[in-house]
Amino acid sequence: MLLIQNRQAQPETETRSISRRGLLHMLGPLALLLADPALALDLFKVLDPEGKSKDLQKAKQIVQGAGSIMASATDLDYKSEFAIGESLALEGFKRYGLPVKNKEVQKYITLVGNTVARNALRTDIPYYFVLVNSSLYNAFACPGGIIFLSAALFKAMNDESELATVLAHEVAHVSHKHALQSIRRAKFFEGVGQITTANMKGADGQKFRNMIGGLQDVLFDQGLDQNMEFEADLSGMECAYRTGYDPTGFVRVLEMLQTRQGGADKKGSWFSTHPPLPERIQKCRSKTADYPDAKTLATVKERFIAYRAQV
Amino acid sequence: MRRDIIIFLLMGLLCTLFSAGAVSAEKAWVAADGAALKASADAGSQTTAELAKGTELSVLESDKKWLRVKTAQDQEGWIYRGKVGSSPPQQSESGSGSSIGGLLGDLSGSSVQADSADTSRSIRGLSPEAKEYAKQTGTSADYQRALDEVIDVKVGKADIDRFLKQGKIGEYAD
Repeated sequence: MLLIQNRQAQPETETRSISRRGLLHMLGPLALLLADPALALDLFKVLDPEGKSKDLQKAKQIVQGAGSIMASATDLDYKSEFAIGESLALEGFKRYGLPVKNKEVQKYITLVGNTVARNALRTDIPYYFVLVNSSLYNAFACPGGIIFLSAALFKAMNDESELATVLAHEVAHVSHKHALQSIRRAKFFEGVGQITTANMKGADGQKFRNMIGGLQDVLFDQGLDQNMEFEADLSGMECAYRTGYDPTGFVRVLEMLQTRQGGADKKGSWFSTHPPLPERIQKCRSKTADYPDAKTLATVKERFIAYRAQV
Repeated sequence: MRRDIIIFLLMGLLCTLFSAGAVSAEKAWVAADGAALKASADAGSQTTAELAKGTELSVLESDKKWLRVKTAQDQEGWIYRGKVGSSPPQQSESGSGSSIGGLLGDLSGSSVQADSADTSRSIRGLSPEAKEYAKQTGTSADYQRALDEVIDVKVGKADIDRFLKQGKIGEYAD
């Protein structure tokens, strides 16, 4: 819906009627558009502040349309976003194993996750958390709010603030729709505004499966864009802090991972899908300056250890 | 001498007025869903109102982890500082529309239902789209059942408050 509407709004005939001079004026904003659409539109204001040039106005309309196309995969309705998340979660179980068979521990992780999610940027969706039997150190978030945590990472943590900050990091990815942004150019979204069972079949179905494959590549192997990870790091720490957890728990998790990096299996783990640990630790340590009272906040070590012992 | 005293007193008065103005002008916004407005700076005190995310507040006073605030509707009380931001919260772009209504409706329950998950029951919780995806990809029933159990778990506000209280977290910290 979103992609196709935006393209329909800019018929080809319009682009043909633009003069060569207009096209030349468009080159700068178009180049900028790749990096920052808002900046590109600002440049139009500088070139033609009063909007007198018809060519530039047409070019501006096209740039605005293109900007919408690029942003539109993240504008899917929640039902469609969740369908993508469910499909990816099925692949997550195939890749990282089935849930740990302990309802009490699963309930505990769900409570920690939902407790921090209540203070997240995006609070109008439900979040789901699952601890899976995996020996890899990993956690990832599917679009729509299904969040995976590996047993290895859970067992390597030392208190609830560490768990809370890791889950808050994943919730932040969902809030910022990072995974969807990473696949916004997938062919499946060309002409599809809402995901239904009808476009899960035939050629569209193949495109959908390809898109899920692309998401697996991003989330399970290559990792998200580094800036998205840094954004989720800081956003997650803030979210844990607001909840009342010691946000430096996240730094401790990163430092723990750094000490274990040498002997760990990296493929499909946080080591291969996240930015280099020294840089992340440095950025997160800098952020802790915003929390002078961090040491007075909750770590809830005893409760955490009691649940960790059950895994 | 007398003139100096008058100037001194006037300056003092101006400073007082200025600082009072600064306090009364301090704005804040509710940054979390369902933030409780309490009768006193204590999580155990009576909840006088539940404020929606984005509600604008005037901060009247602060006391460690609590802020005394007033809404535009003249609701006055104490709110845990973690629920408040110094700028309006960003609006999420979930585009939920009507489709999320049923899901959020489930969240109003007061009990965590993980215990009630029954692994022997049929797969019924996945969306038709996810079921179709599972069918197209030949995903085994084990994985579908696993996901079904995950999305079957509901957590309500009362569960979270109880959990915070038990862990002495946030507004329930000593």
